[in-house]
Amino acid sequence: MMRYRDGIILSLLVGSFSVTNGQTNGTDQTLPAVTIRGTTPERFSAGQKTQRIDSVTLEQFRFQTLTDLLTYTTPIAFKVYGAGQLSTASFRGTSANHTAVLWNGININQPTLGLSDFSTLPVTGFDQLAVQYGSSASCVGSDAVGGSILLMNNPKWQQPGFQASVGQQLGSFRNYGTQLGIRFVSAAGKRWQIAGKSFFYTTNANNNFPYRERGNYFVEHSITQQKGFIQDLYFRNQKNQQLSVNLWLTDNDLTVTPYDTTVRERTRSQSYRFLTTYETNKLTLRLGWIRDVIDYARGNFNTPSHSETDRLISRIEKEFTHSYQSAEVSLRLGGEWSYYRTQVDGYGDQPIQENRADLYALLRMQWPRWLVSANLRQAFVTRFDPPITPSLGVEYSLLKTGKNTLTAKASAGRSYRVPTLNERYWKVLGNPDIRPENGFNLEAGLESRWIPTGHLTVTTEATAFRNRIDDWSYWNPESGYRVENLQLVVARGLEWSGTLNYTTANWQSGLTLAYALTRSSQERVYNVYAQDIIGKQLVYVPKHSGRFSAFVAKGKNRLTIQNQVNSRQYITFDNIQFLRGYLLTNVLLETQIKLGPVATRIQGQINNVFDTVYLNVKRNAMPGRNFTIQLICNLNTPKQ
Amino acid sequence: MRKVTSAPSVRLKLALGLLVALNWSCNNDNDDPQALPYGSGVLVVNQGNFTDNNGTISYFPPTGSTASYDIFNQVNQRSLTGSVQAYEEADGKGLILVDNTTAGQDKVEIVDANTFKSLATLKSPEIENPRSAVRVSANKVYVSCWDLSGDFSNGTFYKDPGYIAVVDLTTHTVTKKIPAVKGVETLLLVGSEVFAGSTGGSTKLTVIDITTDQLKTGIEIGANPNPVAVDGNGKLWVYSGGEMIRVNPQSKAIENRLKIGTDKTRSLSKFRLSADKQYFYFVSSFYDAADNYKEKGETYRFSVNDTSVPATTPFIKRLFSGLAVEPQSGIIYGGYTPSYKQAGYVFRYQTSGTLIDSVKAEIAPSGFYFK
Repeated sequence: MMRYRDGIILSLLVGSFSVTNGQTNGTDQTLPAVTIRGTTPERFSAGQKTQRIDSVTLEQFRFQTLTDLLTYTTPIAFKVYGAGQLSTASFRGTSANHTAVLWNGININQPTLGLSDFSTLPVTGFDQLAVQYGSSASCVGSDAVGGSILLMNNPKWQQPGFQASVGQQLGSFRNYGTQLGIRFVSAAGKRWQIAGKSFFYTTNANNNFPYRERGNYFVEHSITQQKGFIQDLYFRNQKNQQLSVNLWLTDNDLTVTPYDTTVRERTRSQSYRFLTTYETNKLTLRLGWIRDVIDYARGNFNTPSHSETDRLISRIEKEFTHSYQSAEVSLRLGGEWSYYRTQVDGYGDQPIQENRADLYALLRMQWPRWLVSANLRQAFVTRFDPPITPSLGVEYSLLKTGKNTLTAKASAGRSYRVPTLNERYWKVLGNPDIRPENGFNLEAGLESRWIPTGHLTVTTEATAFRNRIDDWSYWNPESGYRVENLQLVVARGLEWSGTLNYTTANWQSGLTLAYALTRSSQERVYNVYAQDIIGKQLVYVPKHSGRFSAFVAKGKNRLTIQNQVNSRQYITFDNIQFLRGYLLTNVLLETQIKLGPVATRIQGQINNVFDTVYLNVKRNAMPGRNFTIQLICNLNTPKQ
Repeated sequence: MRKVTSAPSVRLKLALGLLVALNWSCNNDNDDPQALPYGSGVLVVNQGNFTDNNGTISYFPPTGSTASYDIFNQVNQRSLTGSVQAYEEADGKGLILVDNTTAGQDKVEIVDANTFKSLATLKSPEIENPRSAVRVSANKVYVSCWDLSGDFSNGTFYKDPGYIAVVDLTTHTVTKKIPAVKGVETLLLVGSEVFAGSTGGSTKLTVIDITTDQLKTGIEIGANPNPVAVDGNGKLWVYSGGEMIRVNPQSKAIENRLKIGTDKTRSLSKFRLSADKQYFYFVSSFYDAADNYKEKGETYRFSVNDTSVPATTPFIKRLFSGLAVEPQSGIIYGGYTPSYKQAGYVFRYQTSGTLIDSVKAEIAPSGFYFK
């Protein structure tokens, strides 16, 4: 068999991206002109659904991975290989290569694999998180076929001062996490304002399960050690020129079956991400460098199979804004050039080098009731021809009163992805002549907010989508897992979500409910046996998924319940076999104690409360009920 | 093992019972159908896709073509969780050899052969990479095991030595591990001896005395020898490196080396003896570089008395992932695997090579057990 990590699953992508430093919440803005900036994918994706994860949720998950957070807050389906093991996303019924992950606007999917292993991305690695549903390739570039995950770092300009924090987590199975960091923001009003953050985290998941089996299914033993370092620095002046430097180093060391020296398997993934940005009101310049390293070894860890990819990224964007009568018009023109160099054992002895470039024009027009965006992107890749990618989105405000808002949305857009480096260059199995996939996404929805009294807020959003992807390329099991553009996949579905928040002077409470129907199937007959897989649900994509969370809080004390429910996940193309559906529930209790300038947040958590037996893609049982406790001490010295 | 008492399991069993009852009623058979749902018929060993750990066993009733799928799961409410390597029966019990992606998770499930109810599970470290099983005497079965496998690319894949686990079916335990060649593979019982083959690079056929469970002197044959069958003339045939080798099972003398085909790009496998013990069927396959390296091939036949086997005219123009001969009727069962991600089919042929029917099986049908 091929090896998983460096073999079959992989591929590459490149990114494109867009600008950002996105202020996603108004409180961060002191200088009025800054309000113009926003994450490009969001500002120019009119008609599409964007979900922001609130800061309370981010704080609750700060010792967990992005997989943990997204499975409880979004309908994204994850293929998980075990506790602390590889975890890949299927967004709206698409494949693991169809979700773009942007870090401060730069696509950080592994170019060799064309995906991100979400188990290696801790929630503590960024300040803000938004999830963009549907294709947004014209704004984001490659990979944004099913949706995009937007990770952002932002200084809190409005809160000058110094903050130091120390966090420690203790969990069942001898799992620990430690975090240390400082943040500072200089006082406003001077000619220059400076902000920064230094942060270090480490996780040791020993996964010392007291059982070898659950419900007659094996529980695979693995150990994960994770380390990371973040350094952010921001300088801005009163002319609203800003220089930012962001650094994020991650090191994820996974060993499966650690105690048997013959069969143990180690996958070490390290990423170095460096980005510098210069922004004015109208201009954005970016320079970045990313190195991704994966070492895989079985048995003898001294001679791993090595893969190393470097990317140099540069981007320039210029925005033009005008007002015509009641219309606000923004046009953003951008260009990007990246250089790739990759050395992978599976590609042969010579490093592969290539250039990629993107040109794009993003137009946003806003009237009192209408918001329209029209975008166009053309990517250029050495030895590959991506298609031109247009999109159009519209939002119309049906109702806008003090108590009620109701907005209708619709969008249509073409998508593409640059095939992964593995798909193009892997010896024998890769296919240098692979054609681009051809995706077309349509969606429409309604979003409403109702505030009947000062205490109660109700929001709801419903979306229907259809995403057709032709020439779907995949590692075809019929031809020994060679890459082919054979299938036509149509993913369609409905998403509904609603929130209800009730607040009184002393109490706060809230409910969030979400349901997604995802019907994704292969539709082309390409040989006689393909008859058996026509119209069948794609593997590992649950048709129904639901999320439910509720909290009640008084002061700094909060009780939260999180639930996710997923229907069966088929594991064969013809749907004859599946992993059973399951319900998972977590309960969290948190409080805060203040001693002088030190505020300590204490969070106790019960995961998988009902001890549900559910299986991962290797058909091993996932861990049962477990407990964690975390303490986070924050020292705050605000400046006046 | 956990007792199955949940409501869904009762419903499933009722449904299963009903299905079997319907089948049997069509046959006008008056026996109690629920007593021995899998008492006779054909079991199909579906290897599964290795990394999905989804091997299964399908059941074909003695007549008709209505299959039951994943019968172990139907009866026991849990899947086999591995690639299924082989199935063997002994004294009313069935042994299912299961190879999981993760080391230490391989096993042999012991079931009631008539109901498929789980009786016991033999696990690591008794069982590591089980390959083949053979009943050697009352309540005693040999299971060949590679033991833990290492890194293929470093040439340390096969542990040296492998072993043969001696399974006692009265206690459901492994009573002994007989050390064997590395990559020990196919087992064949002939008289009071078991011949054990290899895929790990050995050139000797291993010989074991079943009364003492001790190794005897092996037979030097050639690269990776594996025993096939004893023909109508009482001769043992062993396949090794493109040749079928005829051995006198008593004297251990090699009597003849018969070259099979001439095309070196082809690989030969699945040698099976016909019911009358006069012919061998086998599969010849290759990867077609002109067609995206899809595996292609056909099935051939030769007589035990042939002096040459050109293998130029196929007996059945189809490539099989599993091949077997029903010992009473001589009907040929061929398993076909379109891909490892969808159900395969079983094609049945008369001894003349005429197609009888095809029945859907599960993922990668690779073996058959006739009961």
